[in-house]
Amino acid sequence: MKLTTKQLTLCALLTAMALALSYLENLFPLSLAIPIPGVKLGLANIVTVFALYALGAGEALLILLARCLLGALFAGNMNALIFSLLGGLSALGTMALLSQGRGLSVYGVSVGGAAAHNCGQIAAAVWTLGSGAPLYYLPVLLAVSLLTGGLTGLASACLFRGLGHTGLMNRGKADGHG
Amino acid sequence: MMRRLLLCVLPALLLLSGCAAPVDPDEARESIQVIAMDTAMLITTYGERSPAAAYACEDVIRDLEKQLSRTDPDSAVSRLNAAGTLELGELDEELIPILSAAEAYRRETDGAFDITIAPVVAAWGFAGGEEYRVPGEAELQELLERVDGSAVRVEDRTVTLGPGQAIDLGGIAKGYAAGKLTQIFNEYEVPRALAELGGNVLAWGDRPDGTPWRVGVQDPAHPDDRNALVGVLELVDSFAVTSGSYQRYFQQDGKTYHHIIDPATGRPADSGLTSVTVVAGSGAGGAMCDAYSTALFVMGEEKALDFWRSQQGGALFSLVLVTEDGRVVVADKTGQFNFVPEEGSGYTYETVS
Amino acid sequence: MKPFPRLRPTAWDGLVVLCVAALALGIAFFQWRGGTQEGLTAVVSVDGREVDRFPLEELIAAPRAYEHNGYTLEVCAALRGEVSSLDHVKSDGEMGLRVARSDCPTQDCVHTGTITRSGQSIVCLPARVIIRLEGGAADPGNVDAVTG
Repeated sequence: MKLTTKQLTLCALLTAMALALSYLENLFPLSLAIPIPGVKLGLANIVTVFALYALGAGEALLILLARCLLGALFAGNMNALIFSLLGGLSALGTMALLSQGRGLSVYGVSVGGAAAHNCGQIAAAVWTLGSGAPLYYLPVLLAVSLLTGGLTGLASACLFRGLGHTGLMNRGKADGHG
Repeated sequence: MMRRLLLCVLPALLLLSGCAAPVDPDEARESIQVIAMDTAMLITTYGERSPAAAYACEDVIRDLEKQLSRTDPDSAVSRLNAAGTLELGELDEELIPILSAAEAYRRETDGAFDITIAPVVAAWGFAGGEEYRVPGEAELQELLERVDGSAVRVEDRTVTLGPGQAIDLGGIAKGYAAGKLTQIFNEYEVPRALAELGGNVLAWGDRPDGTPWRVGVQDPAHPDDRNALVGVLELVDSFAVTSGSYQRYFQQDGKTYHHIIDPATGRPADSGLTSVTVVAGSGAGGAMCDAYSTALFVMGEEKALDFWRSQQGGALFSLVLVTEDGRVVVADKTGQFNFVPEEGSGYTYETVS
Repeated sequence: MKPFPRLRPTAWDGLVVLCVAALALGIAFFQWRGGTQEGLTAVVSVDGREVDRFPLEELIAAPRAYEHNGYTLEVCAALRGEVSSLDHVKSDGEMGLRVARSDCPTQDCVHTGTITRSGQSIVCLPARVIIRLEGGAADPGNVDAVTG
C-alpha cells in the first residue's frame, strides 16, 4: 500500500484522535447512565468509520493497529492488547463488509461494527480466561451495542456532513496529485 | 481494559441468573460444612431425607467433639487427662468403644499406633496452642517412659491412665466419626453421600451419574496445590484416609520436623514415606483406616506392606504409599476400587500383591 | 472510488439492527435452555452457617470480606498462573478465588492459594470460615474430594 504524504498525515492525525477519544470516553463513563459497569460508547469507532470511507479498509487497519498498540503501551497493560485488537479487528472487518452494501447508511455500518466489537472482546475474554463464563454477557452487550452503535453512527453522520465540502471524502485523491 | 470487561460479567450473571434451569428433584441434596475436631468437615448427602441426614451428621460430630476434644477443658478426654482417672457420665459413652478400638489397633500394629503418645506430641508443640520446638533427648526419654497404651484400663465405667499418662485421640477420632456417619446414612436411607472429615473421606454409594466417587490423593510434594494429586481413587461404599508428613510440620535450623511421632523413638517418624492412604469398605470401620494410616506411616514401606499382607480375612484394606524417593506403591487385593495414576505427576507407579 | 456514504438511516440499517437483536435474543435463549452450568458458585460459611453464596464472577467487580472471631478475611477473584509486575497475567486458563489477606495467626487460608474447581475449598480455622466452590460444568474428570 502506497500512501501519499497527505494520506499518511491523515492516518497519523486519525490515530491521535482515536487515542484521544478512547481517553476521553474514560473520563465520562457510560456506566453512569446505564447501570452496567464496563459498558463503553466506543467513540474510537467513529475514527474507524471515517477512515473506512475517507481512506479505505487498508488505511483503517493501519490506524486501528497503531491505536491498539499505542493504547496498550500508554496504559502499560499489554494484556489489554488482546482485547482491543480482537474487538477492533472484528469491528473493522464487519464494517468493511457492510460498507460495501449500497443500501446501508453509516448507522447500519456503525451498529454492525459495535456488535462485532463486543463479540471480539467477549471472544478475547473467553480465550484468556479459558472459561465460557463471559459468554453470558454477550446478549446484554449486543443489546447495548444497538444503542452505542446508533450514537457513533449519528456522530459519524454529523462528521461527514460537516466535512463534506473539504474533499476529504474522495479518499484524499481528488486533489492528491495537485 | 480487561478488568473493565471482566466487570461486565457481573450484571450479566445477575440478569441471567433468573433463567437458571430448574433443579431436578432426583438430585435433592444437602451440603453442610462443619468446623470440628481441629479441621474442616464437609458432608454432602443425597436423597429425599438429605437435609435431615446432614444435620443429624452435624449433631453426631458435635457430640463426639464434646467428648473427645483435646482443647475443650470440659471434654471427657480433657477431664481424664487432668485427673488420670474418670468415671464416665452418661454423655461420655463414646469413650469406651473408642478406647477399646484404640487398644486393639495398638496391639495389631505392635505399638506403632498409640494414643498415650500425647505427652510427647505436646512436647513437640503439635498438640496445638503452643510453639513448635525440638525437645531435648533427656526430656524425650523421660516422656517416652510414660508411653504405653496397655496401661490404660477400662473397668466397668471407670477409665484409669497410667502414672503421668495422657491420651490424644486425634489419630482415630475423625475416622471414628466417619464410621458413625454410616449409621446415620443407613438410618435415613441415604442412597449416596460424600463426607470429608479433614482428610478422612467416606464415599457412600456412588455418584449421582452412577459412576464411582472420585477421590484424589494429595501429592505430598505440593501440599499447597489442591490440584496436585498423585492419583485418583475411584470408590464406592468405602473409607479412604491419608496420613502424611506434609500435613503439619515446622522447620528449625534447616531441618523439617513433622507431626507423626514414632512411639518407639519419640521423634517424627523417619520411615522413607511421605504419605500413607488406607482404603477399606464402608463396613470395615473408619476408625481402623484412621489408626492404620498413622501406624503404617510410622512403620515405613516394608513393614507396612508386610502388615498389609498379613491382614486376616484376605482383604480388609488396601494401601497407597507415597515414598520420599518418588514412588507410588499401590497394594490392593480387594479389587473393590480403582486407582488412576495422575499423568505428569512425576511419580513412578508400582503395584504389589 | 468509494461512494460518499449514506447519512440517513435506511431500511437496510433496520435489517442490521434486527439481525443484532435476533443474535442477542438467540444467544440468551440458548443459554437459558442450557442452564447456567458454566459458572462456579462460591459458598461461604462462618461457624457452620452459610452466610454468603454468589457466582464466582461477582468477585471480579469487588473483593468481599468476612469477619468472625475477631479476624477478617479478604476474598478476591484470581487466575491460576503467575502474575508479573506489569499486571501481565500468565493464565493457564482457570479462574478462581483466593484469600488475599487475613489477619489470622496461621495464615493457612492465604497459603492455600487459588482454588478454581468445583468441590475445592479454603479453610480458615481461627476465623472458622470455609469458602467452597460449587457447581460449574459437570466434568467427569474432576475429583469429588481429596484425601490428605
